[in-house]
Amino acid sequence: MSAAPSPPPELVTLTVDGRAVSVPAGTLVWDACEKAGVFVPVYCAHKKMDPVAVCRMCLIEVGTMPKLQPACATVVQAGMEVRTATDRVQRFRQGNMEFLLLNHPLDCPVCDRGGECDLQDFAQRYGPPRSRTAITGKVHFDKARPLSDRIMLDQERCILCWRCVRYCDEITGDRAIVLQERAVHTVVDTFEGRPLTGPFQGNLPEVCPVGALTHTAYRFRSRPWDLQRTPSVCPGCSYGCTVGIDSRDNAVVRFVSQDNPDVDDSWLCDRGRYGFPELNRQDRVLTAELSLEGPVRAVGALEAVGAAARALAGVLERHDPDQVACLGTPQMTNEEAFCLQWLGRDVIGTPHLDHQLEPWPDLAPDEFRLAIRELEDCDTVVVLGERPEAATPVLTLRLYKAERKRGRQVLRIAADADPTELAGRVRDRGRVGVVAHEADRDRARAVATALAAANGSVHRLTLTEGMNGRGCKDLGLLPGLGPGYRRLDRAGMHGRAILAAAAEGRLRALVVVGPNPEMEQDPAYEAAIARVPLVVALTPVRGLLSRHAQALLPGRTMAEKQGTVTSSEGRVQRIRVALQPRIGAPPPELRLLVELGRSLGGTWESAPLATPAFDVICDAVPAYRGTRGGLRAAWPGTGGAA
Amino acid sequence: MFRELIGGLRITMQAMLRKPLTIQYPEEQRPVPPRARGRHILHRYDNGLEKCIGCELCSGACPVGCIYVLPAANDPAHPVSPGERFAERYEINLMRCIYCGYCAEACPTEAITLGPRLDLADYKRERLVATKADLLEAWPGFRPPGGAAGGGPR
Repeated sequence: MSAAPSPPPELVTLTVDGRAVSVPAGTLVWDACEKAGVFVPVYCAHKKMDPVAVCRMCLIEVGTMPKLQPACATVVQAGMEVRTATDRVQRFRQGNMEFLLLNHPLDCPVCDRGGECDLQDFAQRYGPPRSRTAITGKVHFDKARPLSDRIMLDQERCILCWRCVRYCDEITGDRAIVLQERAVHTVVDTFEGRPLTGPFQGNLPEVCPVGALTHTAYRFRSRPWDLQRTPSVCPGCSYGCTVGIDSRDNAVVRFVSQDNPDVDDSWLCDRGRYGFPELNRQDRVLTAELSLEGPVRAVGALEAVGAAARALAGVLERHDPDQVACLGTPQMTNEEAFCLQWLGRDVIGTPHLDHQLEPWPDLAPDEFRLAIRELEDCDTVVVLGERPEAATPVLTLRLYKAERKRGRQVLRIAADADPTELAGRVRDRGRVGVVAHEADRDRARAVATALAAANGSVHRLTLTEGMNGRGCKDLGLLPGLGPGYRRLDRAGMHGRAILAAAAEGRLRALVVVGPNPEMEQDPAYEAAIARVPLVVALTPVRGLLSRHAQALLPGRTMAEKQGTVTSSEGRVQRIRVALQPRIGAPPPELRLLVELGRSLGGTWESAPLATPAFDVICDAVPAYRGTRGGLRAAWPGTGGAA
Repeated sequence: MFRELIGGLRITMQAMLRKPLTIQYPEEQRPVPPRARGRHILHRYDNGLEKCIGCELCSGACPVGCIYVLPAANDPAHPVSPGERFAERYEINLMRCIYCGYCAEACPTEAITLGPRLDLADYKRERLVATKADLLEAWPGFRPPGGAAGGGPR
């Protein structure tokens, strides 16, 4: 679904410090300055929020206007002459900085924002060389007051830019943070002093230009210059938010959002942002462990792969390949999922492979056709139940944006609502989007069919579980469906059937890649794994698999490997190595899987590395070609890449 | 020739009677100039609280990157330093340090200075990484949290 072709916006030409620049009519002077390459300091303006012009830092001279104008709230006009570097502007900035610093504590050495603080930077660049006021006599408040278990507020440091207030108003809509009192007594605080409870608190310290709002999880952990930032994808869910993984001493200390307008729109949810301790877990599988014969012994990873292959080959000699199954996890990268699929289907020859419990009959890429960004362009978005927003919280912010800023209708209905009644509630007979969790995909299909009868176009977005549930489906880690949703003649067992077969003793061997959060919550999983005589498990963390595997292979967490993952909407994005493996650490999971397959007589043509493996994927699944740079896979019949 | 011999011996005899210049290092040590830059010292306030607040500006200013600081939040009941933040770990790699004194220059609380100690040889590299226990000024009645103060350069 592409947006209706709107006429190209009229261009307006203005000059910024003598440089001519053409921007669409309606652009703010601040954005025009940025386009002209002229930096204008600002605290209150934010790319994702409406202008308020309260910080007065961006005042500039415009044409013959007698007073200085705020660049963040002035709309461009043809022939406008903007001057940002005149003496008058500089003098004003200096005076404004003096006001902002009047009551700001001399806290920088103990402030978490120190080193990445706009107030520090602008004070250095535009502020007066010396303070004319004494350090004593500043207004004081309580230091570091927790607003919740995640956020600390230091009112002394606040410069009243209103960004957090506007964030709670415009972006989340919960109005949790408000301005209290008036005039010189104004402070930022929560509404009625209630603690924050929303699921998007972690964005507050990021919108704060100073150190007034800080993360409890990052409190006094590091300085920005200690950190190494690795662009990656949030592992929390299948929404595919772009994150920067900030690490220090080879441990992740925080996630920062990276603006990806197509996906996260620069916001992260708290579950994703504060989920990073999972990547620093200490209970890791660091060496391979074999207990094929006799007690457990630690061996080298490749040696263990050889032993596991010999054991598997022994099983395959004596039994039918049907008595072997492969279980993946939606936390695997695309390369690993494709490789496990190759190992199971082509090398071992079993049709039983899956990455989740429930069966997915009639799966087609059309279920994921609607892009996240297109939610804003739909006239009506129908959301089935609470599960989509529970599974991928950042979706809530996109829906609120569609509702508030684009005036769209967002219809939240119960997952079991009657689809036939729904047609009357849809406001506009235009483009309709249906968003559902994967557990409700049958209902979503019924709703889409019912709405399609009355509306022009109905597109669906199904939200999958796990970081790469979509990729596992695209690449055929499913029974009966090969890579690229190719129908196969031999139908295999789905996840729950595999577990049932294992529990009944019908499976001779199982190749498992873990951890699989969905399966581990199911008591049948442990019972099944314990019954299989040969379990070859590949997992980074200790747990159920490490207790029951006869051949345990060391895996890597998402921060220690590279590869690609596919979000629910089909966007193929790269994850990168944020934490360097130790010297002598076992090879990445992909290599172990390839070596296991090769030891069993399989042919894997390319090098066992993520990048060449992606080329193999592109050959098998042509839709994945042209996804480099984080684009959506172009599935035939679903409207092409976006 | 005999006169030259006497002349030479006279100088020898004079030198024998003079007070020797040799300093019996390491038992005896020369006083160092007051502003010499030797091994670092982490100072305390008079009440025993550490001056260091773990701000990491020393490590930021360090041109060779030899200072490692891991800050932590103070327990208000048992503060290590005044204020909210203190250095949980403070390590200086004395082999890498060039004794430029920028750390002392950058310190906002005058917690770190370069002291008079110049004898920094050791047999083990590990012992040339000075920890907080090594660097902290002694304070009567103070026991370092880690317990052992040894293991650093002597």
